[in-house]
Amino acid sequence: MGRGLSSRTLRGFVAGGRLGQVGWTASVAILVFLFLLPLLPSVTNSTLFTLTLMLTTVGVAVNWNLTGGFTGYVDFGHAVWFGIGAYTTAILVSLQSNGPQIGWSPIPAIGLGALVAGLLAALIGRATMRLKGPYFSIAMLGTFVAMREIVRVSGFTGGGVGLTLPPYLNRPLFYYIQLVLVAALVMFTWWLRRTRFGAALVAIREDEIGAEMRGIDTTSFKVSVFSFAGFSTGLFGGLWAYQNTFVDPDIAFVEVRTVDAVMSTMLGGLGTVAGPVVGAVVLYWLREVLWANLLDYHLLTQGALLIVIVLFIPRGLVGIFDRRGTSVNALWGRWLVRRADPGRKEDEP
Amino acid sequence: MTALLEARGVVKRFGGLTALDRVDITVGEGEMVGLIGPNGSGKTTLFDCLSRVSSVDAGSITFDGIDITRHRPHQVARLGMSRTFQVIRVYRDLTVSENMELSIQWEGLGVPGLFTKADPGTRRKVESLLEFLLLAPLANERAGVLSGGQRRLLEIGMALMSEPRLVLLDEATSGVNPTLVVEIADRLREVNRTAGVAFLLVEHNVRFVADLCQRVVVLDQGAKLAEGPPRRIMEDPAVVEAYFGAEGEGGK
Repeated sequence: MGRGLSSRTLRGFVAGGRLGQVGWTASVAILVFLFLLPLLPSVTNSTLFTLTLMLTTVGVAVNWNLTGGFTGYVDFGHAVWFGIGAYTTAILVSLQSNGPQIGWSPIPAIGLGALVAGLLAALIGRATMRLKGPYFSIAMLGTFVAMREIVRVSGFTGGGVGLTLPPYLNRPLFYYIQLVLVAALVMFTWWLRRTRFGAALVAIREDEIGAEMRGIDTTSFKVSVFSFAGFSTGLFGGLWAYQNTFVDPDIAFVEVRTVDAVMSTMLGGLGTVAGPVVGAVVLYWLREVLWANLLDYHLLTQGALLIVIVLFIPRGLVGIFDRRGTSVNALWGRWLVRRADPGRKEDEP
Repeated sequence: MTALLEARGVVKRFGGLTALDRVDITVGEGEMVGLIGPNGSGKTTLFDCLSRVSSVDAGSITFDGIDITRHRPHQVARLGMSRTFQVIRVYRDLTVSENMELSIQWEGLGVPGLFTKADPGTRRKVESLLEFLLLAPLANERAGVLSGGQRRLLEIGMALMSEPRLVLLDEATSGVNPTLVVEIADRLREVNRTAGVAFLLVEHNVRFVADLCQRVVVLDQGAKLAEGPPRRIMEDPAVVEAYFGAEGEGGK
C-alpha cells in the first residue's frame, strides 16, 4: 500500500483536494520541526532572520497564487500591497509630536497596515480586474510604480529618505509569528479551494464568460480574493518593516518581491495549494547555493534553470505528483500507451 | 401565451458590419422556439446579446417583465435564463459532478453557503440530473475525457442545474452522433413537459428543430426573414432560397 497511498494523498494535497492521513502526518511533522528549530543550539539569530525572510517570500507567494494561480489574473504589481503594509506600519509606529514618540504599538500598527492594503486592493481591484490578460498585468505594474513614486514625493512618508522604526529585534518572536501566519495561510488556501468559493475561482480562471453564465458574479469573487491577498501581503509587509527597522521607497516597493512570488508559484505549481510553498523554499535554497558557488553567474544560472523547469515541468514541482502533471510524465505515459497498443490514437481517452 | 423573453429592435454592430439589424424575438412561458439561418446570419450573436455576453447597440431586451438590456450575464442567469455555447464550455479539469455543482443558483447561497462544499441536496440533484442525462456512470470522470456528445449532454445538464425558466441552446446537436441526438431531443421534450422550461434553440439540424419546436424564427444577414410554425417555414420560398438553397442541392 505505502507508495500508492502516499502518492494519492500527496496528489490530493498539491491539487487542493482531500488531505489524507499521510499528508496530515507529513505536514504536522514539518510544522513541529520548524517550531522546535529555534531551540537548537546551532541555530543563530541570523539563521532565524534568514528563515523569517524565507517565510515572508512563502507568504507573499501564497497570496499571489490566490489571484494569479486560482483566478488566472497575473498580477505584476503585487508587491505594492507589501509596500503599503510596510509604510502604514512604519508611519504609525514612528509618529512624533514635538519630540516625544507617540507611535502606535506594533500589533495595531501592523493590523491597520494590512487593513489599508486590503482596502486599497479592493478599490484598485474593482477598476483593474475589469481588464483581461496582459492589460490587467500592466495596469497592476503601473499601480505599483505610481504608488512608489507617490510615496517618494510625499512628506508624511519621509519622501525618498524613508522612515526609521523603533528597534524591536526579537528574532525568535518574529520567526514564530510568521511561521504561524504562513501555516494558517496555507491551511486557509487549502480549505478555500475545497469550498464553492474556491471552485468558482477556478471556474473564472478556466472560462470567465462561462462562469458568468452559471450565475457567478465574477467581479465580486475576483475583487474579494484580490483584496484578501492584498490584506495578507500587507500584513507580511508590516512585519517585515518592523524587523528591518527602516523603510524607504526602494526597499519597501521592490519589483523583485513580485518576481519572486511569480517565480516561486510557477516553480512550485501554479494554482495549487502547496506549489507556492514548495517553490518559494526551493527558490530560496537555490539562490543561496548559487550565490555561494556561482557568484558571477548566479542570476544567469537561476534564469536558465527556471526556463528548463517551465519548459519541462509546466505544472511545477508539485505537478510531478499529479498523474497528468508534467510534460515528462505525459510523454512517458504516451510512450507506454503506444508500446502497449500501437494502433491507439493520441487523443483517445 | 405570456412572453417570458422579449427582444425588440436589437441592433449589434462590429465596426462597419451590422451583425443584427432591428431583430425582434419573443419566447413564451414553456415554449420551444427554434432559431435557424445560414452561417453568419447572426444566430449566435443574437444569443450573446440575449444572454448579455455581448452588449447591444440599440433595442431592448426584457425577461419576465424585467428590462435586462444593461444587466450582466450572471444577473440574467440568476433571473432564470441559462445557456449553452456553440463551442462547448465545460471545465475540463473538473469532474462531471464538480461541473454540475458549479451551476447552482448562487444567489440563494448567502455568504456562509459560499464557504462550504456542495450540500447533500445539491449532490442529490446532481445525481438525479446525471441519471436523467445518461451521464451517471461518468460522474467522477474528468470532463476532459468525455466524448463530444457526452460533453454536450453535460453542458445541457449544467444549464438545467439552476432550474432555469428559459434555456438558450446553441447547436446542441453539433458533433453529436445520431443516436445521441434522439436522446437529447427526448430529454429536452421531457424537461419542457414536466418542468415547463422554455427553450430557444439555435440549430443547423432542421429536422431536430422541426420535431421539437412549436415556432421557428429564421435569420438571414442579421435580419429576421420569417417566423411561424416549422412546417410553414420550411415551405416559405424566401427561407428555402436563403437557407436551404445552397445546402438543399446537397440533399439536406
